[in-house]
Amino acid sequence: MFSETRPPFWLLALLLFPGVGYLLATFGLPLVRVVWGSFRSAGSLRSGTVSTFTLDNWARVLGDPVFLDGLMFSLWLGIAPTVASLIVALPLAALLQANETGQRAARTLYRLPLVVPGIIAGFMILVIFDRGGMASRLATPLGLSLPRLVRDDWGLGAIMASMWKTIPFMTLIISGAMAAISTDILAAARTLGASRATVLWRIQIPLAQPGITAAVLLSFIGSLGSFVIPSLLGPAYPLPLSVHMFEEGFQRGNWNLVYAMGTMLSVMSIAVLFAYYALIGSFTRRATRGRGD
Amino acid sequence: MTDLRHAAETAPSMPTAPARGAPRSHHARSQRLIAGTLYGYFALTLVAPLVVIVLWAFYDPAVGWFPPRILPASLSTSAWREVMADRNILPSAILSLVVASVVTTLTATLAFPTAWAMARFSFRARRAVEVFVLAPMIVPGIVVAVSLGEIFFVTGLAGTVAGVVLVQVVGTLPLMIRILAATLEGIPEELVLAARTLGAPYRTAVIRIALPLAWPGFAAGGLLSFIGSFEEFEKSFMVGAPAVQPLAVRLWSYLGGDILVLPTAAVVTLILLVPMIVVFILTERITREDVMAAGLGKL
Repeated sequence: MFSETRPPFWLLALLLFPGVGYLLATFGLPLVRVVWGSFRSAGSLRSGTVSTFTLDNWARVLGDPVFLDGLMFSLWLGIAPTVASLIVALPLAALLQANETGQRAARTLYRLPLVVPGIIAGFMILVIFDRGGMASRLATPLGLSLPRLVRDDWGLGAIMASMWKTIPFMTLIISGAMAAISTDILAAARTLGASRATVLWRIQIPLAQPGITAAVLLSFIGSLGSFVIPSLLGPAYPLPLSVHMFEEGFQRGNWNLVYAMGTMLSVMSIAVLFAYYALIGSFTRRATRGRGD
Repeated sequence: MTDLRHAAETAPSMPTAPARGAPRSHHARSQRLIAGTLYGYFALTLVAPLVVIVLWAFYDPAVGWFPPRILPASLSTSAWREVMADRNILPSAILSLVVASVVTTLTATLAFPTAWAMARFSFRARRAVEVFVLAPMIVPGIVVAVSLGEIFFVTGLAGTVAGVVLVQVVGTLPLMIRILAATLEGIPEELVLAARTLGAPYRTAVIRIALPLAWPGFAAGGLLSFIGSFEEFEKSFMVGAPAVQPLAVRLWSYLGGDILVLPTAAVVTLILLVPMIVVFILTERITREDVMAAGLGKL
């Protein structure tokens, strides 16, 4: 609860300044520059060309099949790991709630990938699933042969590496939301004959729903813009927009094209956010305020 | 409180004493199944990759370790010696720890006043401030990274430690503000008011009462900031490289280059994992899941 008294303006401005001011300078300004730059041609002092208004960057991003494929591949790399991780994270969160053997150890262990850099997650997938990796060495004696899983057309290796990072992140948020559900409700459902699966599906998931949607949204955005995992494990074609941005910018200096791609990624993220608000708006208020403990 | 569930399920046996022999109750059986599934999952996703990486770290270049073999024929410490001889690894590790500490401190300092204002006051632009603070979590980090990378290049901050710290705080600050605001909202107004009626000036009441009570928020937000900084790659890479290379960026030079040096990368991976796991286990006890999830749980 916050007090209803309105503070003096100077106090409010002073309090908000450090955080909001910092973000204005290091986030707001660069973002405006990205959007602005996406509509400008490249200017350079040396050759005397002046930057002018242009739609060329957008025409290239939206017209060149290389970038269109990149856009679709970015979306795929955002959606696929998020959906797959959710399918693992939901039962995992419920199991962690129900588990009584070595509770503290289990809770520490599942979160470990959170502290591991994405590049290491990629490296793990590489040593296990690349051709000649541990998975194929183990499968060969069993007479199995694995499909190509690293640098494959569907980006399965990149998806697995993203999942390895995303599952604990989702589980953290979802178990936080699930822990807020009163145990009395779960016990009541169980005594009335509901199986664990029914309790998860009919009670825990609906009540933890705000947490679940937040987890889905944040994971999607994280995977959408990830650079290191697809560049390590993804196919040579298509490349996601994040990798195109890096190559066009830092290797070719086409900054205005990079800005158009950046604006595109941001717009997609914000579109997802608004879709999320529209979807959730109707049932925001029902839910997890009442704490069990 | 939680015992209600046990009472409902296990009338005959005590919930705290799982039968070692044949499971006698439905409860004990289902607990075994749950624990089995969980630890099986951990074995598959954590232990198995770690074992493979440890084996690669002790790769013997004289003998090799080629595909049909599941276990290497011999082990050697040559990759370790190579990494220890590499004069860049230790500075990179120290740099990572220093940057992560500075980022965490700066984040907490910047976040507290803003979180206080958001948690305690109603003002007209409150919703707008909330959305703005949320925005950096919504816009993909790479967009900010390339743009700031270019701005820093012009202003001379590119390739400096300060630049890396500044760009990382963009990622950690929103989460810290949200977690702290959620924690501060939970502190009863009466405690601050009591201090005020007892004669404490407003500033003292905030610093002596609210700040210590917000400790769980600082712990959770601080841990996430520290981790976020330590494992961050994209922003540090685009602002700092090649002059400033924290450990995650250093690893890129072993993995992302044209030649993949598996044993060396495995050693650096293990070196990078150790401090993270130590920090993680130390702070695990003081961070509460509900506080950590509070900043993320609803957007």
